[in-house]
Amino acid sequence: MSKPLLTGYCLIIYAFLLLPILVVVGASFNAGAFLTFPPQGLSFRWYVVFFNNDVFMRAIRTSLWVAAVSTIISGVIGTMAAMFYIQHSGRWKESVRLAMLLPLLLPEVLTAISLLFFVYSIGIGTKTIAAMIIGHVLITLPFVFINVSAAMESYDPSWSLAARSLGAGPFTRFRRIMLPLIKPGVIGGCLFAFIISFDIFTISFMLKNIGTATLPIQLYDYLRTNFTPEAAAVSTVSIVLTLAVVIISEKVLGLRIHRF
Amino acid sequence: MTEVSIEGLTKDYGSSLAVNGISVKIADGEFISLLGPSGCGKTTTLKMIAGFEEATAGAIRFDGQDVVNVPAEKRDIGMVFQNYALFPHMTVAQNLAFGLEMRRVSRSDIATRTARVLEMVQLSGYADRYPRQLSGGQQQRVALARALVIEPRILLLDEPLANLDAKLREEMRVFIRDLQKRVGITTVYVTHDQAEAMTMSDRVVVMFGGRIAQHGAPADIYERPVTREVAQFVGQVNILEGRVVSAAADDRMAVETVLGQFAVRGIPAAASGTVTLALRPEAVELAGPGTDGTQATVSASYYSGSLVDYRLTLDNGQTINVQTFPRNRWSAGDRVTIKVDGDRFWPLGASA
Repeated sequence: MSKPLLTGYCLIIYAFLLLPILVVVGASFNAGAFLTFPPQGLSFRWYVVFFNNDVFMRAIRTSLWVAAVSTIISGVIGTMAAMFYIQHSGRWKESVRLAMLLPLLLPEVLTAISLLFFVYSIGIGTKTIAAMIIGHVLITLPFVFINVSAAMESYDPSWSLAARSLGAGPFTRFRRIMLPLIKPGVIGGCLFAFIISFDIFTISFMLKNIGTATLPIQLYDYLRTNFTPEAAAVSTVSIVLTLAVVIISEKVLGLRIHRF
Repeated sequence: MTEVSIEGLTKDYGSSLAVNGISVKIADGEFISLLGPSGCGKTTTLKMIAGFEEATAGAIRFDGQDVVNVPAEKRDIGMVFQNYALFPHMTVAQNLAFGLEMRRVSRSDIATRTARVLEMVQLSGYADRYPRQLSGGQQQRVALARALVIEPRILLLDEPLANLDAKLREEMRVFIRDLQKRVGITTVYVTHDQAEAMTMSDRVVVMFGGRIAQHGAPADIYERPVTREVAQFVGQVNILEGRVVSAAADDRMAVETVLGQFAVRGIPAAASGTVTLALRPEAVELAGPGTDGTQATVSASYYSGSLVDYRLTLDNGQTINVQTFPRNRWSAGDRVTIKVDGDRFWPLGASA
């Protein structure tokens, strides 16, 4: 394909992907009472409404909290699984990989229903938020696993041996040698986990306890009865939050790959 | 400093015996090479000494103390890897400091010891570089410095020169050997390169199929190999069949070969019948045709500057390889006379 043609094609794809988001952001500054585009006059009134809406504020806090806890759990388990997969799984390598990716291959609604039966049969139930977190970990784990195992592929096991010969025990070897060298994979995986957890609907919907709602659920609830630009404001805030997480992690933790 | 004693060391991988009951004693400050083809068990032996592999049976003693159950991180060894294994996210100074930090050496002592060792490997100005900013030879010296700065009991080197080009490899041989002598550390060096093993070591241990085929000083191995395998592995060799004729003077036996009859050392007095003899190519001298000796035809010659290798064909069709200084030059088709000193033959035992 010629270069201008390819450029044009890419622009169309980007427009297709990004325009709806721009429309939502634009609609959130609507001064009118209905969710329309182009907006009828510019105003921040729906943001004021949103930030004063306790229900939405609680939902955002719940979403952030669930995403943070799930990310930490997925980050730890997923990294350990990737280490095992690369270094010790031997001839079971392919099977281990498939097992780890299974949550991605099954329809989410199926996972959600199975989990619902599971949490009741083992007695956890949905009275606490634990069930929802288990669900989120299950869905986000493959993303951590994929990213960390990709980073582990370029990790030379003789680095660990060298550290051993120099007197470093297993914990020091992990903290001082392996973790810094696979860091971009771990952070990348955790970012995915966080953003995906923030976005999960089906699992949250099935496993939530009465009275708690994550942002997507609250938004869905709201849109069933209302059609105001407040929904667009909520969406815009969650887009900004997601972007903020990505940018801050990149700046603070460093996503740059080490070049050897 | 440390004396290492290995007794009946065995590694069984279930499907195969990688190391099959080897025993060797390494004196304090000695430089010993494990030499052999790939798969002979030399690297597995080194890994067991380091503690990276568990021994199936046998003992490894450092100064009489069995270390088989001591984990690698507590064995106090310095190890240099084939690919150097420098930590890529640390500077040269941080790489060197790592082992000292593990030993809880104070910050100021770390600085002085690191500087001293860097000077020893001639890399004083490179403390703040990252490994990727160094050449292969420099990385090699950093790896050596990192292993030595902790002042380990023994130094283990796993084919450390394999990734360097030929010229640098020769420089590094001398460099490592000099450094080892200066530090006086007991050293085990694994290589498949016989020239490396011979030039660097006090003693060479030749391994085949998980067993020690022969060990001794480089000259012992080269001049008095015990088997055909050893003779062929540590350099070029002509293998000749001979027939024992009679006893000769000074514990020698008269042996009839295609090159004539010679009084050969090292043959048991009880021997009779045929013996297999090794003859190194450089032990053969060549003269113009028609002089006293075996006549042959030059079939090929390979000039390499300081030496010339000839492939000769005897009148009975047998091939003899000869290496000489390029004083007289012959070319393919020339007739020459082969002269050999009987002392340069060595009888080989049956291969194990």
